[in-house]
Amino acid sequence: MEREAHGRVVGDEARGTQVVEGEVMEGARATTPRGAWARVPRMRGRGFGTRVMAGVAVAVAAIGAAALGLAGCGGDGRVALTVYTPHGRDLMRLMEAEFERRQPEVDLRYLDMGSQEVYDRVRSERANPQADVWFGGPDSIFARAAAEGLLASHRPTWAEAVPEASRAPGDLYFGTYRTLPVLVYNERAVALEEAPHDWDDLLAPRFAGRVLIRDPLASGVMRTVFGMVLARAAADGGSIEPGLDWLARLDLQTKEYVANPALLFEKLMRGEGDATIWELTDILLQRQQGAPFGYRFATSGTPVIDDSVALVAGAPHRDAAIAFLEFVGSEAGQLLAAERAFRIPARTDLPADRLPEWAREVLAEMRPADYDEALAAGRSAEWMALWDRTVRGRGAARAASGGQGGR
Amino acid sequence: MIPRRGWGRWALVALLAWLIGWPLLVTLAAALTGETGGTGAAFVEFAQRPDEWLALGRSLWISAATVLLSALVGVPLGFLFARAEFPGRRVLGQLVALPVALPPLVGVIAFLYLYGESGFATRVVGRLLGAAEPPWRLAGAGAILLVHAYSMYVYFYLFTRAALARFDGALTEAAASLGAGAWRRFHAVTLPVLRPALGAAAVLTFLTALGSFSAPYLFGGSFRVMTTQILASKQNGDVDLAEVETVVLAAIAIAGLLLARRLERDSAPARQRGVAPARRARPGRAARWALAAAGWGLALLLLLPHLTLLVMSLVPRASWTTELLPPALSLANWRLLGGSLEALRPLASSLWMAAVATAGALVLGFTAARSAARGGAAGRATELLLGLPWAVPATAFAVALATTWSVHRPLEGRFLLVGTAALLPLAYLIRALPATGRAALAGLAQLDPGLEEAARSLGAGKLRTLRRVTLPVLRPALAAGAMLAFLAAFGDFVLSIVLYTYSTRPVSIEILSNLRLQETGVAAAYGVVLTGLSAAAFLLLGREREG
Repeated sequence: MEREAHGRVVGDEARGTQVVEGEVMEGARATTPRGAWARVPRMRGRGFGTRVMAGVAVAVAAIGAAALGLAGCGGDGRVALTVYTPHGRDLMRLMEAEFERRQPEVDLRYLDMGSQEVYDRVRSERANPQADVWFGGPDSIFARAAAEGLLASHRPTWAEAVPEASRAPGDLYFGTYRTLPVLVYNERAVALEEAPHDWDDLLAPRFAGRVLIRDPLASGVMRTVFGMVLARAAADGGSIEPGLDWLARLDLQTKEYVANPALLFEKLMRGEGDATIWELTDILLQRQQGAPFGYRFATSGTPVIDDSVALVAGAPHRDAAIAFLEFVGSEAGQLLAAERAFRIPARTDLPADRLPEWAREVLAEMRPADYDEALAAGRSAEWMALWDRTVRGRGAARAASGGQGGR
Repeated sequence: MIPRRGWGRWALVALLAWLIGWPLLVTLAAALTGETGGTGAAFVEFAQRPDEWLALGRSLWISAATVLLSALVGVPLGFLFARAEFPGRRVLGQLVALPVALPPLVGVIAFLYLYGESGFATRVVGRLLGAAEPPWRLAGAGAILLVHAYSMYVYFYLFTRAALARFDGALTEAAASLGAGAWRRFHAVTLPVLRPALGAAAVLTFLTALGSFSAPYLFGGSFRVMTTQILASKQNGDVDLAEVETVVLAAIAIAGLLLARRLERDSAPARQRGVAPARRARPGRAARWALAAAGWGLALLLLLPHLTLLVMSLVPRASWTTELLPPALSLANWRLLGGSLEALRPLASSLWMAAVATAGALVLGFTAARSAARGGAAGRATELLLGLPWAVPATAFAVALATTWSVHRPLEGRFLLVGTAALLPLAYLIRALPATGRAALAGLAQLDPGLEEAARSLGAGKLRTLRRVTLPVLRPALAAGAMLAFLAAFGDFVLSIVLYTYSTRPVSIEILSNLRLQETGVAAAYGVVLTGLSAAAFLLLGREREG
C-alpha cells in the first residue's frame, strides 16, 4: 500500500514533465541483457509490450476470422441434427452419407465420445439440450439416463421388430444392434486346439498370467459378462459368493486390467497377453485390418447386450431426430450397418438371405446365455463396487483364504 | 489496464470469481441440493471407508514425491541450460521442454511401445541381460512417479531458466569477492532469488500431480488415487460419492495453495535491480564438448517417446507386433492425414483455440498477478482464484462449466455458451490461468519496484512504463507461462471431450477417433504434427526469450 501511494504521488508530481523519448528508451534498453541479439537492429520504438499486444490483436482477429469461416460452413440452410455417439467413424460416415441422401434438408453432425461421456454431457446440458439423438452404448447406461429423465419418449415404426427385451419401458430407448462378448485370443500365440471354448477355459493353467481384461468398471461389455457370472451364481444357491470366487480365480489369471480398448488391442497384438474377452464387432474390424485375433463364442452361452438409441429430452430438432431414429432401425439402415460395419442388427424380422454371410454364421453359431438379466442389470452397480473392493487384485488372497466366501 | 485504486482490483476479483469460482459454486450447490439429496450420507460413507482414506493418502504422497522428483530433474537442467555454454545449447534448451507436450492418448501408446512390457527399450535391455522375462513392468506407484516426473519436471525447468535469465550475476560476484564459497553462494544468494520461481513451479507441479488422471489410470493398476477413485464411483453410478470425493480433493488442493502462499509470505521476496548481464560459464573446449554430448544424450532420452511416435506414424497398421524393429515403413498414414482438407480441420481448430486461450490467459493472468503481488485482501483473493482452475480435477471442472453455461439467466450471471464455439477456448483460457498467473507472479517477485517508480518519476505514463519497463523485465517469466498455457490447450483432451462442438473439434478428439478404429499410425501422425507445432511455438517464443 505504501508503495502504491508513493508511486501515485511521484507520478502526480512528475506529470507534465517533458522527458526526451530517447532517454526513456535508454532506461528500458538498460534493463535488457546485452546478449548478441540485443545488437541486432530491431523495430525502433517497439517494445516487447507492443509486440505482445500486436500478438493478442492478431490472435483475436484470427478467432474472428475462424469463427466467421466456421459459421459460414454451417450456414447452408439445412437443419443441423446433432448426434452424440460412441460409434466410430466406420459406422457414422456411412450413416451420415446415407441419411443425408434420404433427408437432403438435414445436415447430420456427429460428435464421437465414449458412452460415459455422452451420459455426462447430456446430464450437464439438461437445462438446454444440445444433442438431438444419443446413438450407441449399452442399454444399462441408457437406463440410468432414462431414470433421470434425460431421454424423450418416442415409438418408432420398427419397434415391434426388435425383441421385447430390447425395448425400454415408456419407449425411452430401443436396441439397434446386438453387442456380443466373445472369447478372443492371439492366433500367433495360441494354437487353434488350445483356444478357449468357454469362459471356464480362461482359468486353465495354459492362461495363467496371460489373460488381459479391459477395466470392467469402465466397460459395459465386461460389466455384462461379470454380471452374468454373478447372476448365475445367485440363481444356483442364492448367494453370489461362488461367482465372486470365480472372478477371483480370473483375477489370478489376469495379467492386467487395461484402461481402454485401444491399449487392449495393442497389448494383445504385441503378445503381452494371449487371451481376453471383448465384443465381436471390434474384433471383426481388427481382423479385417490384419490383427491376428481369433475368437470363439462361449459354449455355455453369450450374454447379449442391446446397443441402443434414444431421443434426448428437449432435443432442439425433434423432427429430424425422429427421422434419424426411423432410419437407424429401418431395414435399409440395419442392413447397411451389417454389411459395411460389422453390426449385428437387433431386428429379428430381417430376411436371412439379405444379411451378409458373416452375420448369418454368427447368428447360427451364437447361443444366447441363459441367466436372470433383470437381476444382473438391477444389481450391476452394487456388484461391481463389491468386486472392485474385494476381488480386483486380490485373487491370490481370496484363494489362500479358501474361497467360498471365506475371508 | 492495471487497476490502481481499490475498486479496480475488486472488479478484477469479481471477474475471476465469475469465470472460475461461480461455475464451481453452481455445481457444488447442485450437488448438495441435488435430486438424489444423498450427499450428506455420502460424506458419512466416505469418512467410514478405509479405501477412500487410502486413496487420499496415496494422492498426497504421490503429489509430494512428484514435486521432489520433478525439482531434482528440472532445477539442475535449468541451471545447465541457463549457465553453461556449449554447442547446440539454444535448440536443445527448447527441446528438453517438450515432454510436457507429449500428445494425449497416443503419447501413452508411445510409452507402451517404448517402455511397456513389449516395448523397444524393454526388449533391448531384456536381450542384453539375456533374461526371458521383461526386466521391468510399467505399473504401480513407481510407474506413476516416472511418468509424472517425466512430464512435470518441465515446470521446474522452465521457471528456473526464466528466473536465471533475470539473475543479476553481480550478486554472486560480490558474494565471491567477500569470500563466500560455492555452496554458500548458492545457498545464500542464488536460492533466495530463485525462491519465487521454485515456489510457483512447486505449486503447479503439486496441483497437476494431485489432479493427474491419465498416469494413475493407465499405469496405476490397482493402485488407486483420488482421481481414479472418482471415476470408479462415477462408473458405478454413485454420483453422490463421486461428488463428495471431488469436493474433498478440491479442498485439499485449496489447502495446499493456502499453505504455499503462507510459506511464500514468510520468506521475504528477493527483489533485484533489472540489470542482468547474461553470464554463462565458458568452460574449456573439452568440457564444452562433453557438456554438449551430455546435453544431446539427455535430450535424446527425453525425446525418445516423441521419436517413437514418429516411427509409429510410419508403421502400416497392425504390422509391428513382436519384432524388435518395425518390419515395414510407409507413408500411408501420412497420406491419409494430408489427403483431405477435412483431416486438417482438427489441427486448425486446436491451433486457433490454443492461440486465443494463451493470449487471453497471458493478459488476464498478468493483470491478476499484478494485483495479487500488491497484497491486501483483494490480492489474496485474486491469488487464490488464480490457483483454483487446477485445484479441481479437469473433468469436474469441465462438467461445472458445461452446467453453468447451459442456461441463459443474465441476472444470475449465466449465459448460454454450451454448443457455441466460444466455450471450449474459454475453458482452455481459464484452465491456463494458473500457469500464466503463477509465472507472472514469480516474475513480479523478482522485479524491483524502484524501476517502475523511476520510470514514472521520469514522466513515463502507465502504458509506457508497462511497455518499456515492466514487460521487458517479466518477459522470460511470461514466455514460460505462455508456453505451458499453449501446450496445455493445444493437446488438451479432458476438457475437450466434455465441451467440444461440431465446429470446435480439436486434434485430441481426432486422435481418439483414430485409436478407436485401431488407426494407431494415423493417430501417431497427428501426435507428431501436434508435437512439431508445439516445438515450433517453443522455438519462436524461445528465440525472443534468449538472453
